[in-house]
Amino acid sequence: MNPNKDSNRIVIPIGPQHPSLKEPGCFTITLEGEKVVHADIGIGYNHRGLEKACESRNYIQTLYLIERVCGICSHTHSTAFCQGLEELAELSIPRRAAYIRVIVSELERLHSHLLWLGVAGHEIGFDTLFMYSWRDREKVLDVLAEVCGNRVNYGINTIGGVRRDIDDTMLQNILKVVDFLQDQLKYYLDLAMTDTMLSARLAGIGRLSKEDARKYGAVGPVARAAGIMEDIRIIEPYAAYTEVPVKPITDTHADVFGRTVVRILEMLESLEIIRFSIKNLPGGDIAVKAPRRIPAGEVISRTEAPRGENIHFIRSNGSDILERVRVRAPTEANWHGMKHMLEGEYLSDVPITIAAIDPCYSCADRAVVVNSGSKTEVMDWQSLRQYSIDWHKKRGVDVSSIKMPERKKYL
Amino acid sequence: MQAEQRIVDELCKKFDFFKDRIFVQRQKRIFTLPLATEEFEQVIHFIHDEMGFYKASHVVGTDDGDDLGFIYILSNREGIIFALKEKAPKSDPRINTVTDVFPSLDFHERELVNLFGADVKGLKGDSSYPLPDGWPKGNYPLRKDWNPKYFDNNTMTYNPPTNESNKEGQTNESE
Repeated sequence: MNPNKDSNRIVIPIGPQHPSLKEPGCFTITLEGEKVVHADIGIGYNHRGLEKACESRNYIQTLYLIERVCGICSHTHSTAFCQGLEELAELSIPRRAAYIRVIVSELERLHSHLLWLGVAGHEIGFDTLFMYSWRDREKVLDVLAEVCGNRVNYGINTIGGVRRDIDDTMLQNILKVVDFLQDQLKYYLDLAMTDTMLSARLAGIGRLSKEDARKYGAVGPVARAAGIMEDIRIIEPYAAYTEVPVKPITDTHADVFGRTVVRILEMLESLEIIRFSIKNLPGGDIAVKAPRRIPAGEVISRTEAPRGENIHFIRSNGSDILERVRVRAPTEANWHGMKHMLEGEYLSDVPITIAAIDPCYSCADRAVVVNSGSKTEVMDWQSLRQYSIDWHKKRGVDVSSIKMPERKKYL
Repeated sequence: MQAEQRIVDELCKKFDFFKDRIFVQRQKRIFTLPLATEEFEQVIHFIHDEMGFYKASHVVGTDDGDDLGFIYILSNREGIIFALKEKAPKSDPRINTVTDVFPSLDFHERELVNLFGADVKGLKGDSSYPLPDGWPKGNYPLRKDWNPKYFDNNTMTYNPPTNESNKEGQTNESE
């Protein structure tokens, strides 16, 4: 803590590495007593140069890179990318492929929201909720692994459709998980609506009014919890959402409590969408042949990710390598309102306020940057370990002889 | 596509320079051709204040040879996306910030500065985003002539072959 001599204000940096943050971000909080009077947001610690990397790979290779923009909502990125290219190449994907995209998309929404519910529970000291919701999330991940071969980064999309079909056994297993989650989600909704401790901890926290949500360009559950009905599945239906009914979910609390309710209701709606899609799943092919070279042009493709509107701008030049891609993930839109949400809050509410936008800083760092005096070094894992050993040695502690314990196997 | 066409017609009526430089790409998509800075300034304020394009999703920077391109992705309550383009020569890549109208574009404009070398006038704050502190001055990784294979992660220096190292703006002086 750095006391500011000019006033009673105290400046606390939270992050880039901090127990309350699941990924690196730096929030510089200025306090007056316990109250946040100013907040600065520092992001960019996870920038991996994906867009530059895409400019030197062909479209299929790029598809796999784009899927790795996010480890949680990877399907929404590959869907936005594929449908952008399909628009440029004037491809119409088979209906069955469009339905499979929707089923995987809603399973992804379920596991993303369940993950968030657990993190939110953890941030407010309600670890039982964390364990319950993550237990339920495992069921969704299991069924995703069965359908796609992977728990995350599913690799089901391809340009022109999907790579894998879903057979009857898989469909029955998905329905079993859907039925299981129906009861669980009703319980969580009941909990949110009736548990006084939970509502006392969440209501009135991290407020972002409807006007401010519009001003700062908030998207997804953050905007919908402020009463703004913006859902790309409804305002610009894509894939099979042109045929599958989607009920708009909004709330007017405009705080963390509202965002919690919206996400639980959205999960219940996802169950209905999956049931409808399975019941009406058409037969036929799952993909059409796509050209290696995509005709020159520009396209803006968007999808409704679990965290909100996901936009991909793609410029092609007629070759098999794209000219430019720009991914605007939903968290990028929700950062701007964060500063506004934090100011006026108490310090103890900062972690849950940050968590409530469900921030995704992207999931894997390629390097660690260490500042030593005026010099900056980018270190890989081994260099970082050596740096740590040397740092301790200089201070009289030799940790190099410590052996890492064998990892236990629980299988 | 009546709503989209109405917007295009109104803008063509208001601004003469839009003739043949704005079009409905498809349903819910309006694109323009790149505008000069003074034309762009007039349009962005008008469509925000008078036409209900209240939301700015992001700005896409592009390397267009001798120019830098800037594509502002805006939308209104009907979900119509307006891709408003601006350009500036690489020799003098000056544009004005629009954060007074769209505060949500702060990070995106800083990205234009870091990754493309744009000079965004009026943009508050001077911290580096998204490149790390100590990134070598004059290195703009999203420009087409910047090649990642010549960048040394350990020393944070850009070392192109001699014939490329003479190119404008490619130095290793640390910021």
